[in-house]
Formats: sequence, C-alpha cells, structure tokens
Amino acid sequence: MSAVRVVGAAAALGGAFLVVLALAGPHLAGAPALLVVSTLAACVAVAALAVQPWLTRRRVGVHVRVGGIVAVLVALHVVALFVEDPDDALFSMSPDGPTRSRMALFATVLLVAVTLLGVLRRRLRWSPATWRFLHGSLAALVVVLGVGHAVLIQGALDGWGTVVLLVLGGLGVVGAVWRLVVVLRRAPRTTDPPPTR
Amino acid sequence: MPTTRTGPHPVAVGAVLLLVAMIAAALWNSDASGTGARNVGSTEAAPAPAPAPAPGAAPPGATCAPTVTNPGGRNNYDDDAPLDVPLGRGLVITGLVRDTACRPLPGVPVQVWLQTALGSERENRTTVLTGPDGRYRVDTDPAVAQFGEPNVHVAHDVRGPWRAVFQRHVVDSEDTLAVVDLTLVPSS
Repeated sequence: MSAVRVVGAAAALGGAFLVVLALAGPHLAGAPALLVVSTLAACVAVAALAVQPWLTRRRVGVHVRVGGIVAVLVALHVVALFVEDPDDALFSMSPDGPTRSRMALFATVLLVAVTLLGVLRRRLRWSPATWRFLHGSLAALVVVLGVGHAVLIQGALDGWGTVVLLVLGGLGVVGAVWRLVVVLRRAPRTTDPPPTR
Repeated sequence: MPTTRTGPHPVAVGAVLLLVAMIAAALWNSDASGTGARNVGSTEAAPAPAPAPAPGAAPPGATCAPTVTNPGGRNNYDDDAPLDVPLGRGLVITGLVRDTACRPLPGVPVQVWLQTALGSERENRTTVLTGPDGRYRVDTDPAVAQFGEPNVHVAHDVRGPWRAVFQRHVVDSEDTLAVVDLTLVPSS
C-alpha cells in the first residue's frame, strides 16, 4: 500500500470522525442549519487539506480537483457564517477580532492565493522551483493557520476533535514540508518536465 | 539566465519569510477574545442584593473611569428588548451602574443579550432596571460558545440622561456569575 493511500485513508477516517463528532455533540443540537453546514464543510476541508501535499507526487490531477473542492468548502464555510450572523462575522474579520478569527482570515486569504497560483501556473511562467516554493510554503501556512483556528475555537470539535484536528494538520504540514524539500533538492535541471495530469 | 536557476527565486523566498513574520506579529498583537474583551465570568455564587446605599454613598472626591463601548459591543444589538423576561437559570449576569463620581444609579435600563443552548444571541435578550443599590441582575441559562467562545453583551442603550454604552465580554461555559459594571457619563 503506497504512502498516499495510507494518508488518504487516515484523512478520510479523520474527516468522518470530525463530522460524526460535530453531529453527535450537544453544540450543534438545535443549531441553525447554516451553522451545521458551515461546520461540516470545514471538517471535510481539513481532511482534504491533510491529503493534498501527498497527492502532488504522482496524482496531480487528483490534487487539482481536491484543491478546487477545498476552495469551495472554505467559501461555503465562510459564506454560511456570514449569512447566519453578519454582525459577528464582520467583527471576526475586522482588525479587532479575536486571535482565532485573525488566523482564519489569514488562512482564507492565503488559500485564495494558493488556489490562484494553481490556476495560473502556466500563465505565470515562473521557474518550477519558484512556483513550487510559493504554492507549497503558502499552502503549509494555510494548514497551520486553518487548523490553529479550529483548535482555538470552542465548540463542536473540542476534546478528541482537537486531537484529530492536530493529527490532520500534522499530516498536511509534514507532507507539504517533505514535498518542498524533495522538489527543491532535485538535481539541477535546465527545464522541468511539464506537469503530468 | 532564468533556465540555469535551480532554487526558488530569492525574491520569492524573501517575500514568504516577510509574510510569515508579518502574520506572526499580527497574531502576537491580537487579543485572544477580541480587542477590549475580558473574561468577566467566575463560578462564584451571585452576590445577595445589597441594601440601598445612603445618598452620596461614594467617597467624596472619588472618580470612576467612564465605560467605553468596546469593539463588537453592538454585535446583534436590537433596541426592541422585552422588559424583565426570564432567560433561564444557571448564570447570573450582574453589575453596578454608576456615574463618574462613583455614585450608584438606580432605575437605569440595562439590556443584556447572549447565546444560550435555547436561544441565539439574536433572540435571547431582555432589559432590566437597576435596583436602589445601582445593581442590575439577569438570570439566564449558561452562555454557550458562539463564534468560538461564550460571550455576553451588556448595554445601556436607552436615550435619556446617560450616554449609551455597549459591552462585549467573554465567559466560560461553566461559569455561574458574570460581572459587568458600567460607568455612565451624562449624554449632554
């Protein structure tokens, strides 16, 4: 069984655990539907982010599709909170918001940047090393800030949820750093092969 | 000579390092619960109502710093709060309302709103009047985490002799007492 399959299975299990924990716990019982949707979208997004760097080795096509899914899930997470409670959502995004919200805000902006880097890869015409460094290091920051935000949030994912969040975040960060080190230490090459899809 | 470069462009490396430093600084300089919000909760028993103070109970020459509306204080504010409706039990939100000479102010309306297991921050609210000792008291179900942390809002929001103030502070979900004092300044 390849590493990517092991990580994929672990991430799927972790994501499923977070979803079950959120739905079974008291925090979302009787909560508005939008809040439930927002929380579940975030649970799935964390699991998907954990597996993302591990897909860059041989499964770039899957990586691109999962990246699109993460972007949609995070957008859903933010928009649902905004519609449910605009006052608190705007306060959280303001410079006066709590640390956890500031982490989320930075993570979201960086995720947009990482996604745009992915979409514009060919048009940017940057060297493969530069593009990979930017895409990978910013993506690692997204995972650190996004998971940090989720850990600091009190609510549906406390207790064992925190442990699973940290494991998923660890998978994502370790994967991103490992891939960055591997691709940047490669033997000097005048041109990299085009990305395989 | 872009084709001979094997590592990432130094500008890209520098930009990412700068970004990481800026994010770290921005997080370091943020307040854990939002600017100006402090934890006002405890698990103590609510204080018994004090007897009405004698006129001029404050020590002569005392000054109390006016309460300043803090960021987020107006979140989900609604001027149409019902008077004295029960919000449950388990948490007492109370405080002393004074003027800047530290004299208790009786009969002043105070609105309290918060998220509990039974109601969201947008629907769970009441307005009460301070007693003869200048204290208000609201009995409610315990606060539950809302946007990541349980929080309570306390405001003097009625047009009158005193200027309006709005407060947002945080508590822990197991807290039984939250104390938010207000020092009001004349509205003129």
